[in-house]
This record gives sequence, structure tokens and C-alpha cells, in this order.
Amino acid sequence: MSKLGQVVESVEKYNNFVLDQVKRARTDEKFGRELLGRWNDVKAKIPVTRTPTGLPLPRLALPEINEPGEIARYLFGEGLPGEFPYLNAAYREMYLEPVREIESFEKKSGKMDRKITQAEEPTRLFSGLMLAEDTNERFHYLTRHQRTHRLSTAFDGPTLYGIDSDADGVFGKIGEGGVAIDTVEDMVRLYDGFDLGSPNFSASMTISGPAPIIMAMYIAAAKRRFGPKVAPKLRGTIQADIFKEVQAQNETIFPIEPSLRFLTDMVEFTTREMPRWYPISISGYHIGEAGSTPVQQAAYTLSNGFAYAEMFAARGISVDQFGPRLSFFLDCGLDAEYIALARVSRRIWAIGMRDVFCAGPKAQLFKLHTQTSGRSLIAAEFKNNLTRTAAELVLAYMNATNSCHSNSADEPFTTPSEEWIRHAAHGQAILLEESGIFKHTMNMLSGSPGMKAVERAVETAILDEFREIERLGGVLAAVEERYQRSQIQNAAHRYEQQIYDGTRPIIGLNRYRDGDDEIPDVKLARTPRSKQQLQIDRLAKFKKKNAEKAKRALDKLAEVVERGENFFPTLLEAVEVCSLGQITGRLQEVVGRFRPMV
Amino acid sequence: MPSPIRILTAVPICDGHDSAINTINLEFIRQGIEVIYLGYHRSVGDIVRAAIQEDVRAIGISSYNGGHIEFFAEVVDLLRKKGADDIKVFGGGGGTITHEDAAIMKRKGVDEVFFAGTSLEEMVKFVHQRYGKPRTKRRRAKSSDQQLVHNLTEIEQAFASGRKRRTSNAQRRTSKSETRVLGFTGPGGAGKTTLIDELVLRFLNRNPKGRIAILSHDPSVVGQGALLGDRATMINSQDDRVFMRSMATRGQAGGLSPATHDCLALLAGSNFDYVIIETVGTGQEAMPFQENGTVDMTVLVMNPDYGNRLQLQKIAMLDLADIVVVNKSDLQRARTAHTEIEQRLEQNRRSQQLIDTVAKRHRDPGVDRLFDLISKESVASVSDRRSKEKRLSQSAATAKRRKK
Repeated sequence: MSKLGQVVESVEKYNNFVLDQVKRARTDEKFGRELLGRWNDVKAKIPVTRTPTGLPLPRLALPEINEPGEIARYLFGEGLPGEFPYLNAAYREMYLEPVREIESFEKKSGKMDRKITQAEEPTRLFSGLMLAEDTNERFHYLTRHQRTHRLSTAFDGPTLYGIDSDADGVFGKIGEGGVAIDTVEDMVRLYDGFDLGSPNFSASMTISGPAPIIMAMYIAAAKRRFGPKVAPKLRGTIQADIFKEVQAQNETIFPIEPSLRFLTDMVEFTTREMPRWYPISISGYHIGEAGSTPVQQAAYTLSNGFAYAEMFAARGISVDQFGPRLSFFLDCGLDAEYIALARVSRRIWAIGMRDVFCAGPKAQLFKLHTQTSGRSLIAAEFKNNLTRTAAELVLAYMNATNSCHSNSADEPFTTPSEEWIRHAAHGQAILLEESGIFKHTMNMLSGSPGMKAVERAVETAILDEFREIERLGGVLAAVEERYQRSQIQNAAHRYEQQIYDGTRPIIGLNRYRDGDDEIPDVKLARTPRSKQQLQIDRLAKFKKKNAEKAKRALDKLAEVVERGENFFPTLLEAVEVCSLGQITGRLQEVVGRFRPMV
Repeated sequence: MPSPIRILTAVPICDGHDSAINTINLEFIRQGIEVIYLGYHRSVGDIVRAAIQEDVRAIGISSYNGGHIEFFAEVVDLLRKKGADDIKVFGGGGGTITHEDAAIMKRKGVDEVFFAGTSLEEMVKFVHQRYGKPRTKRRRAKSSDQQLVHNLTEIEQAFASGRKRRTSNAQRRTSKSETRVLGFTGPGGAGKTTLIDELVLRFLNRNPKGRIAILSHDPSVVGQGALLGDRATMINSQDDRVFMRSMATRGQAGGLSPATHDCLALLAGSNFDYVIIETVGTGQEAMPFQENGTVDMTVLVMNPDYGNRLQLQKIAMLDLADIVVVNKSDLQRARTAHTEIEQRLEQNRRSQQLIDTVAKRHRDPGVDRLFDLISKESVASVSDRRSKEKRLSQSAATAKRRKK
């Protein structure tokens, strides 16, 4: 049985354990009394907060139960926010406004001296356009009002495929849909003006196929600006999710096995040298966007995660070392499953990591970034997209996501323009800061009977998917047989059919559509040819300058890969003098190119 | 009945958005169109080369990652430059292509751009109306490859329209031809396409000037569409020295198209170093043309998961193949499969070769061995041996007859 099969068993076992505890709480009087005591204690310690109108509210809402069996079901089955199995939240307070004007038990007991650090803002907006300096400007614009600078970087097509801007036939793609990065010099420009080593800065980079190369460029750029000792201080995330690329997003550049090997090399390096970095973001977003059902999205993301955990453990990295450095990324659309998709995922992950991988508490956390669904946005009557995104944001925060990106309404046509990005960012601020939905009370919207029903149905369906993958021989074998791909494609096809036959209503498209085709007046962010040419000229200069050194660096890199050693330290040297495309090309000579699956 | 419409679909370079095109492909096939799908992240050169070789009526491009104005224009320009502007271009990109963009693209020679919200029906209707009528008079071919392309289409159309029903007598030139014809067969999922592509890579590296032709087959029913998707996974075969043509079987049993024989004969006489013919099928049928000498060497590609060893008795190709390949030999059952097949081959008392490969692995030594076996010298010796065997069996038969 692969680890995934064991995860299925562990969740079933845990569910039975919860039922046993419920029974025991009702039959074993002493145990029942203990639970009741603990419950009353928890309740007594909940601080009280006041809304702007002066209404007192508890900072944590709990179900109104006083029967030991039900208390056991809640404490063991769901857990308080921040407690195993983390159904309600990975952390205790999430988005609550800081304890300022509150009457807390701590105040009474004189513990208020302790400095209260405000959590980072959960808003993290994805952006990338044209050349490094243009994206840099956008980054500064986006973070100008933020205490903490949390950047999220989108790369252009050539970068995502590990090729240089001067490659044949990619001219028109330079700087489109993301920023063009060819060399470490571009990387220096990209984050200019930000303090990369600061505890208030983090950078997220959405790239998988060439992730180790881009990661190495980031480290090299940071060292150029802040000296060699900056590496351990670097905070951020690089996506580096190979499985989902093969399953859904199609941006893989090496065959699967060497891709996984390079990934593990990078993870081994960063968990050792950069303890604050997340070297992988296990992503369901692109699986969802490629057309999967929400359940498929969660099931493949989780099973991919467990497969990575198995791989990293096999490399000899301890689970308590890599576990806390794994992060997750899910899509949030409008289907009912999204009411609890991330909640259930968090619970399954925690149980699997604890009971199958023997992970400690920090390695059990399913730390989640959510993005609202790009696929749910449409061009027709595009301002409706504001409402779609707003509804998705409510769902995302109901699921206690750790960070969130809200899509811009103009996304169906273009890289978002500043106007619509502002609306998207404001949408989150309105929900979190202006509205009282999330800032006063944890569990404000958790635990409705409907939510419970969704949780049960979603969990059952996810475990069924796990069993099917297990039958196929585990994640890697299923990937090679195209199992996830074909499931996703079928779901995508069904979704399209439902839109065409009207059984899936899309307002303004197949329902309540005005006769005229609205031509939206949006300002398009297109990269001018002059900038595309500038990128090519810069690259040519870099290549000319480093021609001799590049050759030696590439030879050395190839040798290290041939010998089967961890290639990351050598890669760090290579990015100083080689371009992304030069490195990709050389590595492909050694390990081959990815053969696309259709 | 006229030939089904053949079109080629693809997603541009640096773009992996294949969800829309997958759905559209399925609908095209359902509506009787033969779709050669080239996959995602494809360069202008790859798309145009494939479209010309496959002699499609039109190219459908699905672009979601920007740069569409340049990309579509480059496709149109390159077609023109290659003298293939009777191949038309259309496409779409959801909301990423604006009406303004589309106007520019049309001015640059794109037939049609579909916007978000276009129904599949509209697209199918467009393809039928715009590309449904057969091309009447064709311009003179600009190159010998293009002439070959036109001739292949002629043959396919002749069979489809019923003008031609029976294959011609072997048109293949005699032993003087330098071209070697290799037949690859085996069940779906055994990895034939990957294996052939890996052999192509080795061939291109070894012979800097050599040329190779591939005739690949996918199943289809008479009068219906087909998805011809081999090209999408053949990364090494996207090369000007590789000539590839995909055929739908159009209802013919045995994994070949009614026009295959004539097309193969034409290719075999067209100055390639190798012609590879890949057939669909379970391997229970014999490789056609082996008897009349059109194919110099046959390779049966097996998946270790063929099931019970008794299944092996049913596979006629095991008697006839010159080389049997157990691909995916990294799978658990591979060793058992090797032994079982080895025993089965021993019954034949011919010098058949059995090779284990993992074609998906880069620089796989098993594939290297296979490549050595199919290189020209070996092929020649197999042909000799086979004609010797044939002579022997003929003389034995004559002897028998005499005895009677």
C-alpha cells in the first residue's frame, strides 16, 4: 500500500476514533466531566470584543452545546481554531483585528504587557507585466498602503517554459501575461527598492517547470543587493509544483522524474539553508482552472502533497523540517463544494501528516493561499465579475484561508489594469476591514448545518478519489497513465456542455443576456515592441559579457547532474553568468525534454 | 462520399492552455471532422510544417497567453512563404483577443476569430461551410515534399470517393531503393509513438543529412471524424528532416486505412532513408504487406500488462515480427513478460529479437539497442534472411507438391 492508501485508512480510523470519544464521553462519567470542564474553561477564557456600535461579541464563537458527547464530537472532530485537526482554522485568530479596545481575561490578569504583533495582511495580489522594472513599479503601487509587503509574481510565457526572450518565435510573448525574466540582472531589477531580508517582506513566485533556476536567480539577486548572509532571512514561496503541471497546467520542461529530482534538490537546499522559505506551493488552482470539479481539485492537490512528502522523506529530509515548509494553493469558485473544500482539505492533511508521516504539530498545518476563480469570470457584461469575485472571497475567508488573491474583473481580456486591480484589492479590504463579518469573531460563519453537510459529502468524495489513485499504483503511476488529466478533461468538457445547454446558468452569458455584444472599454496592458526589443538587447549584452564563464559554468552543472549529486549549489553559481534559456537547454541535453501529454 | 475535412489544431508557443481546444477537438470529431492535434506550446514553424505535411484545409489556433496578433500573422506569413496559402487559418482565445485585435488579425489574413461565448455549434458550422468543399485546382507544388503531400492527398481522396477501391500492385521499387521500410505495430498504450520518436531522435543525431518519413494511423469509423494526436507527443519529430503523415483508418479493420498501401508505396519510393509505418491494433492481426516485401522489418511493441500468458498464443504478430519490444520494462510485471514472450518466441524457431525498453526514459539503453538493430545494415540482413526463409519455404512447398 502506498502512503496514500494509508492516509485513507488513517482518516477512517480517526473518524472512528471521534465516534468512540463521543460514546465514551456519554458513558464514562469521569471523561465526560473532564470534557465539560475543559469546555467551560475554554468558553470562560474567550475575550470579548465590541463592534463599532458597541455591541459586545466573543472573539471566538462556539456551538451552544453542553452535552459531553457533542463536546467530544466538536473538540476531536473539528478542533478549536488552531487546534488539531484544524477544520476551523490553522491558527487561533486569523483575521481578527488586534486586541485593542477589548476586555480580555488577560487584561484582568495583567498579562497585557506582552507585545501584540499584528498578523500580516492576508491580501497578496498576483502581478507581473512587461519588463522587470514595469512589474517593480506595479509592486510599489500595490503595496503603498500595506504594513507588510507581500508580493506575488507572475512570469511571462517564455520564462514559464524556461526559454530566453531571444528564442525563435517568442517575440510577441515577451512580457505578456507576466514579467519577462532571463537573467539574474532582471531579477535584481524586479524587486528593486524592497528589503528582501526584512521580516515584513515576502515574495511569491508562480513558476514550476524552471522553478529551481528561478529560485537560484532570486537568491543570487538577493546576495548581490544584501550580501552573502541574506539567504537565511529570505521569506517567500516558489510554486515548483511538478505534478499539477503534468496533470493540468502543461508548463513542464523536463521529463517527470528529473523534474522531481531537481525539485527535491532545491527543497533539500532551502530547508537547510533558508528555513523561512516555502520551496513548494502545492497547487489545486490550476487543476480547478483547467476544468476539474472542486472535489477533484482538492483530492489531486492533497494526494500530490502526500506524494511530495513521501519523496522528500525518502531523500532523508526529516518531516518536521520540510513539513512546515509546504504550502498549498486552492481555487475558490462558486459551486457549493467551496463552502467547505479548504476546511476539509486542512483536516485530511493534518490527520495524514500526523498519523501516516508522524509529523509534529507545525508540520501538520495546511497553510493555504486561495485565489478566486478566474474561470468563473467572463467577458460578457464583465462588471458582473465584481459580484462573482466578492461571493468567492466570502467563501474563501469562510474557509479560513491564510492569504488570498482576488481576481480583477477585466481578467477575461487582459492582464489586469490598475483600475480593476484596485477594485479587486478593495474588495478584500471591504470584507475584512469594513465589514464585521470576519474581524470580530472567529467561527463567525462556521458550523452551519449546511456547511456540515458539505463537509461530509466532500470528505467522502475526496477519499474515494484517493482510493482510485491508490488502485492505479499511487500518484506517480496515475499521472503516467494520464488518470488525473483525463478526469480533469472530462469534467471540463461537462462544464462547457452545461454552459452551452444552459443547465449551468452563467448570468449575462446564457441567461439574462442583452442582445448586443458588449465591447468593454478596458485599457489593455500590452507590452510595446520597443520594450520587447529592449529585453532582447539586454539579454544579448549579458550573454556577450559572460560567454566564456557561461560555458564553464554549464559544463560543471552538466557534470554534477550526470553524477547524480544535488545540483542546486552549482546552479547558484551558474545563474551568475548564464541565462535561464542557456541553463534549461543544457539540462535538457542531459535529462531530456518533457514529452507532452494530451 | 467525399473525404472528411482535415484540419490541424494547436496552442501557440509558451502557452499551455489546452482546456478549450480539447473541448473543441472533441466536438469537431463528433461532427465528422478529422483533427490532427499538435498540442500546446508549439512554434510557428512546427505548426506550419505539420499543416503542410498533413495537407489540412485549415489550422485552428487556440491562444490564451497573449501575443496572438504576432503569432497568427507569423503563421499566415510562413504558409504564404512556403507556397501553402491554400491552408487557411482561424482561431480564438476567449476574452484575451479583443474585437480590435481580431480586426487586425483578419486584415493580416486570418479567416475568422471566435470570441468568448461562441457556441461549439457555430464553430463546427463555420468549419463545414468554409472548408467543406474539396479544393478544386491546386497550384503547382513549390517543392518535392509539397508534391509528395499533394499526391498523398490525391490517393486518400481517390479511395474516399470510391474512385479507387483496390490497392495497386506493389508499386515499390525493387531492392535497388535505398529506403528501408519499418513497420511498428502493437496494442494501444504500449508506447509505440514514444518509441518511434526516440528512434527518430537517434536517427537525426546519427545522420546529419538523413531524412525519415512516418505514416501513423489512428482509428476512425467511415464518414466520421478522428483525433490524430500522435504528433502532439512526438517532440523530436518536429524537424524539417522528418516527414510525417497521420491517417485515420476510416472504418478499415486491421489498423490501416484503405489508402495506406498506396501511400506507403509512394513514400517508399521518395528518397527517404527510412519510412516508418505505425499501425493501430492489438497485434492479433498480421502486419500487412509483410508478405509482398513492402515492409523490410517489423517491430511488435508490447506492454508488459498483456494479461494471462495464454493471450500470447493469440497474437499472430509474435510469429511474424522480426523484433519484439517489451516497452515500459520498468513496470513490475516486465520481467515475467520478458520470460513468457521469450518462451513463446522460441516456439517459432526463427532468429527473432526480444528487447526491453523504457522509451519514456531519456537515453534509454534498450532503445539504443533497438536503434542499432533497425539501422540499415541490420535491416538489410533481415530482408535477406527473410527472402531466404521465403525461398526455403517455397522450395519446401515445391518439394511437397512434387512428392504428391
